[in-house]
Amino acid sequence: MKTLIIIREQDYEWLDHFFPGIHPLLVPICNKPFAEFLIDFSILAGSEAIRLVMDGPLSDVERYCENGNRWGIPISYASIKNTDDLQTVIDKNQRFCSEDRVLIISGFVFIQYDKQYNYKTIFASLPDGEILSSNRGSLRLRGSRTETQHDMGNIPLSLLGFDSIDVYYQLCMEILNDISSPYVLPGYSNEAYCHIGRNVVISKSAEIRKPVIIGNNVQILADSIIGPKAVIGSNVIIDRESSVIGSIVLENTYIGEHLEVQNKIASGNILIEPESGISIAMDDPHLLTGIHQSGSAKSLFQSIVHRLAAILLITLQLIPFLLLTPILILQGKWKKSTNSYFTAVSEKYLILTTTTIERTGPFSTLAAALSLDRFTLLFRVLIGQLAIIGSWPVVATPSSITEYSKTKSWYRAAVFSYAETEEWPVNTGDTAIIERYYAAHGNPMKDIALTIKALLNRIHETNTHP
Amino acid sequence: MIISENTFNNITVIALQGTLDARNATQLKQFKSAAASTTSVVINLSEVDFLDSSGLGAIVSIARVKRAQGGDVILACMNNKVREVFEITQVYKLFDIYDDVEAATINAEKKHTSL
Repeated sequence: MKTLIIIREQDYEWLDHFFPGIHPLLVPICNKPFAEFLIDFSILAGSEAIRLVMDGPLSDVERYCENGNRWGIPISYASIKNTDDLQTVIDKNQRFCSEDRVLIISGFVFIQYDKQYNYKTIFASLPDGEILSSNRGSLRLRGSRTETQHDMGNIPLSLLGFDSIDVYYQLCMEILNDISSPYVLPGYSNEAYCHIGRNVVISKSAEIRKPVIIGNNVQILADSIIGPKAVIGSNVIIDRESSVIGSIVLENTYIGEHLEVQNKIASGNILIEPESGISIAMDDPHLLTGIHQSGSAKSLFQSIVHRLAAILLITLQLIPFLLLTPILILQGKWKKSTNSYFTAVSEKYLILTTTTIERTGPFSTLAAALSLDRFTLLFRVLIGQLAIIGSWPVVATPSSITEYSKTKSWYRAAVFSYAETEEWPVNTGDTAIIERYYAAHGNPMKDIALTIKALLNRIHETNTHP
Repeated sequence: MIISENTFNNITVIALQGTLDARNATQLKQFKSAAASTTSVVINLSEVDFLDSSGLGAIVSIARVKRAQGGDVILACMNNKVREVFEITQVYKLFDIYDDVEAATINAEKKHTSL
């Protein structure tokens, strides 16, 4: 048997509000990513191959699960459109589905199963069609039918529509409270209700009250109280005299000293009240904050290379700029506009004055060919506000915030854009394709080559950018 | 890059083999079946061992031209290297992607006759 797991963006988009930047399949449930529960169940059901099918990004989950070697089962990935119905999804995965029986898990659902139960035999004898369904998804079998049929009534199997933060919280608490956990949970456990990961430092005066699950690389400092009912993710620091009771602390979170976290979910600097779904972002790094990895050497090198390129361009353009600009201003062909633009950092804006040159005479044509309209922007590269090449700055308007929030993972406001370098049509969708490509495949040296290409393209260009 | 052409279920299948980059993106764009605007084509990507932004641009621009005139481009048998580029750039949202050429042609034919 094979398993086809189909998950659609519309079913999990609510999660992004609470756990921004975490792939829905990697959201930890008692410190174990959601995807692992699905994989475990597929293996228990007798699957020999798994395919994850989504209409949203798969790269994060692919990086985590890779080819499935860790579980001893091949895992492949496929993309669909958000308009595809189930039959179309099966058609698109015809080769995967054709030769074998297929268990189809459709929707953003948590499968409540029991690791002790033999689902393989049961599923092998069940006929084609739907096994279970909930408001958020279903479990069905497709392929050859056998004669015998089982009564599903006694089988420990149910679906939980994973559709709100409260469901997520209750599910974690339920798993935590179950003495004979039906799931394989991460961490070391030599007594019931207690799982502890690697490299956990617990101060002598700290108190651990079961049930608890603690991840890897956790520091619990003096006089703090953990539990009952606490899930502490990996890379977490609980500072002294704080208590975490009936709460979930997600990975990379710092809980400051003298804090009481009760019946809440803490993720980075966000504190969520599960029942109401209200979340607040803390501005005070002493209370609650995300623990971030330090900037990589690559980005530092990139920033240095961009600055050096900007210095070189400023040197080359300085004299033509000083000579041509006054003439163009007098001719009225040098048009400036000032706007607020998004930066790569959320909720930070940049006021930029951009220039448009009207290419109607020899001086303006020469100025545009030399990219003098970008001259003043080069100084922003020197102070690190812009990159030499990246995304064309997006004007910050209330209507563009939603669009920007979707692009911010690769957005890097720059003097020259990848789209103009590659001469891609400048419409939002197509520009985003090329920017995402270079965000993943770019490097400082390639950036220099592309900047030169952008400069050369400007010579042949008929219009300047807005 | 080697471009070959076959017909399955009345649908043209363009099979690409080798590297699809800036040097041969134009070759693909000018390929007869790709340039013919109204008919749908299936592009078999199983033998493409490298795809860069220009190659991706060629596929996107063929699709844009075809869709503007009632046709479409359907992609089939993406290997992991190609799928990675489609995934990073989110171009998968623009295309119907099948894991089997025959299934792709059957569905392209269905789509074509329903129009």
